[in-house]
Amino acid sequence: MKKIRLGTIWLDGCSGCHMSFLDMDERLIEIAEYVDVVYSPYVDMKEFPESVDLTIVEGALSTDHDLRIIKKIRENSKLILALGDCAITGNVSAMKNLYGSEAVLQRGYFELADLNQKYPSKVVPTLLESVIPLHEAVKVDYFLPGCPTPADAIYEMLKSLIEGTEIKIHELTRFGK
Amino acid sequence: MIKEKVRVKNFKIDGVCVTGQSNQTILEVAHDNDIEIPTMCHLRGLSNVGSCRMCIVEIEGRHEPIPSCTAKIKEGMEVTTSSPRIKAAREMILSMMFSERSHTCSTCVVNGDCQLQSKSVELELGHSFTPYLNQRFEVDASHKNFVNDPNRCILCTRCIRVCDEIEGAHALDLFGRGLNTRIIHDMDEPWADSTSCTSCGKCVYVCPTGALYEKDISEEEVVKKREIITELVKNRGQR
Amino acid sequence: MQNRTIVIDPVTRIEGHAKITIDIDKSDKVKDAKIHVTQYRGFEKFCEGRMYTEMPALTARTCGICPVSHVISATKAIDEILGVTPPKAGTNIRKIVNLAQLLQSHTLNFYHLSSPDFIYGFDAPKEDRNIFKMMQTHPEMARDGINLRAFGQKIIEDLAGKRIHPTGIIPGGAAHKIDESTKEAILEQIPAMLKIAQSALEFFRDNLHKFQEEIDYLGAFPSLFMALTNKEGTLEHYDGKLCFMDSEGNILKDRIEPRDYKEFIGETVEEDSYLKSPYYKPLGYPQGMYRVGALARLNIAKTCGTPLADKELKKFKALGAGKPVLNTFYYHYARLIEMVYALEKIEELLKSDETMSANVRSTSTVSYDKGVGCSEAPRGTLFHEYHVTKDGIITAVNLIIATGNNNLAMNAGVKQVAQKFVDTKNITDGALNRVEAVIRCFDPCLSCSTHALGIVSSKIEIRDHNKKIIRVIERS
Repeated sequence: MKKIRLGTIWLDGCSGCHMSFLDMDERLIEIAEYVDVVYSPYVDMKEFPESVDLTIVEGALSTDHDLRIIKKIRENSKLILALGDCAITGNVSAMKNLYGSEAVLQRGYFELADLNQKYPSKVVPTLLESVIPLHEAVKVDYFLPGCPTPADAIYEMLKSLIEGTEIKIHELTRFGK
Repeated sequence: MIKEKVRVKNFKIDGVCVTGQSNQTILEVAHDNDIEIPTMCHLRGLSNVGSCRMCIVEIEGRHEPIPSCTAKIKEGMEVTTSSPRIKAAREMILSMMFSERSHTCSTCVVNGDCQLQSKSVELELGHSFTPYLNQRFEVDASHKNFVNDPNRCILCTRCIRVCDEIEGAHALDLFGRGLNTRIIHDMDEPWADSTSCTSCGKCVYVCPTGALYEKDISEEEVVKKREIITELVKNRGQR
Repeated sequence: MQNRTIVIDPVTRIEGHAKITIDIDKSDKVKDAKIHVTQYRGFEKFCEGRMYTEMPALTARTCGICPVSHVISATKAIDEILGVTPPKAGTNIRKIVNLAQLLQSHTLNFYHLSSPDFIYGFDAPKEDRNIFKMMQTHPEMARDGINLRAFGQKIIEDLAGKRIHPTGIIPGGAAHKIDESTKEAILEQIPAMLKIAQSALEFFRDNLHKFQEEIDYLGAFPSLFMALTNKEGTLEHYDGKLCFMDSEGNILKDRIEPRDYKEFIGETVEEDSYLKSPYYKPLGYPQGMYRVGALARLNIAKTCGTPLADKELKKFKALGAGKPVLNTFYYHYARLIEMVYALEKIEELLKSDETMSANVRSTSTVSYDKGVGCSEAPRGTLFHEYHVTKDGIITAVNLIIATGNNNLAMNAGVKQVAQKFVDTKNITDGALNRVEAVIRCFDPCLSCSTHALGIVSSKIEIRDHNKKIIRVIERS
């Protein structure tokens, strides 16, 4: 059997959904038999590869780099799974929007710094005017909400994609779960 | 006062023959016949205002769907409670509720006990179809027991109605227009300064979301007693 | 040759993303190397205007790896605002949950992220250096790691409601008491889990001889250390006061009240990183560089206070021969000892009758306008400071995140390792892996410390002094 080429990435999120992925515990070993993890924070691949079957994306889009990456991921992936509320609604990551990047940077790097007050501007990417969920930038194939998405829901979702069966996502998870 | 005579009417909901009284709404008759129609601003025991449009239904011969909570029944009408068009419209309505304000379910004290959240499960909403507006409102936490957070308000006006119709205080009302509409106390006083609020807490109990909630308690401890109002009205009717 | 820069991007097998730049001068020497944290989340601003009751849930979302630490620091800060002291059982539940997180987080770093380097070596093919390969070649070890991490996560779930972003730790204490059956189920598993932790420790010690160069050069330098300790000077992750120690083992300042942290810790902005650099104020920037986390805690603590961990601590302290252990590589060692400690301590706390009391929460309302909460996160000392209106609306927030404390030291480490291992004429993957490995030693949690994301690229870009790319090498 040909293994599924799986990519995972976290953008502007807390990594909780990736931790929930690990919370599949021993079921990870079962899943690993069916997938090749070709790109992920858990492996040492630095470039997003060509022809990925499924990419699991955690987190919202908040910088110019996030936007560029998600477009590349879309080009190179057959399917995109938006994992967790940040990727789907913006969630806590998008709370920056309530004040705007300028005010948020001002707070962090002027008011709350003792020395050398300035905005980080070299090497680092630029913040977008507002944080947006994935589907506002690219087509998303599956939405699996939760904060984080429960491990059971991730497992059932992956199993259904591996076996080609249908699942009822809303019986497994919801916003804020 | 001349009262209109109440007559019995026969009509169909989703092809099922049902009977109701002429002063009843489609929603009431559907409910009596165990036919589910999703609602949001409706709460049994309170008047219906049709503000959220979640309960829209199609009527044979009418072009536009109408809210079933305010539409009176008519003899021979044929009601459809669900169709691809209705489903799409409800998803759009729900999307707008989620994206208009900043709900952020994960950090809300009523997470797990919220009717907006459970509606997304019921209607199987995968994501919002409308972009998030990212509006920010000031929270009013001046009251010693309760908090008013307009960021989580869907403007269903249940709180206004319960205060007016059940408590009889009419301490709450709507202020502003369009996207800036807010629930206010008296003449937009801080809640603590409201002279008409009796601090009974009914508004908090009926709120479907985390817009009105009890102070100083955590997500684990929040209990919303929405049925309490329905019970209250029923008991009063029996007296 | 011209000045040029090597970019490693993203740094992998760490919690969060970052990139590393290595500057090479005209004479082909590594002049400098830096870690750049490339995303900013802005909690310190957007929490303003929210109710204090939301803060534990909100700040938990800074990090999915150590949400418990944020919840603990947040609830401790709110305890101060409310003027309450949680009942003993509430405090003990918090402590157990905090230790369970320490256990799962350290397990994650060791098994899931770092051990591929120990098993396959730093020069192994990059395709092999991950947990998925380990599942194939060392299934027992992979299973051990999965089980030990699951054990920690399960305790968090059972005592606080949810594995990640738990809701059961609340202002005033904890939401629910511990059931007898939960207690028994946890206690029953402790011996097996201790065996796993001890075998990890043995594995690490048995293999140490292979990594002498890494021990000597992966961030081996003098620095200050900071950690919480209690009155007796034993290892402490929940309560206690701050202590600063210098690289000779002298106590610079002890028994600092966490709420006075600003007198001792300053923060500076780095223009090429979203992560600020805290420093010890009396020595100034950058001389006031200090390290936090497992290494700092074990250097500062006199004892662990539990038998097995104390035996290990003695061996660990011998490495410093009476002085603090300065090698960053030994963070791994220190974490393994803390894993043993966490298991012993969880057992001790669970067996205490006080822990099982039904009285787990004190209630109150806003009494003070400010509160500081401090705890030892897996990666080091974590500060939350909140200011509120009399109604309980947050007006100001300051967070100093565990990993942030290590920013200066991480940069010093990256520079040292790059200067030692990166041969500028023949840049190998193994050398670059070591540069990343020094970051892994610190076990940084960048999702926390502002949150980072690297640019997806496996290329090494060589740039001239104007930052113009002059050559690109595919990294393989």
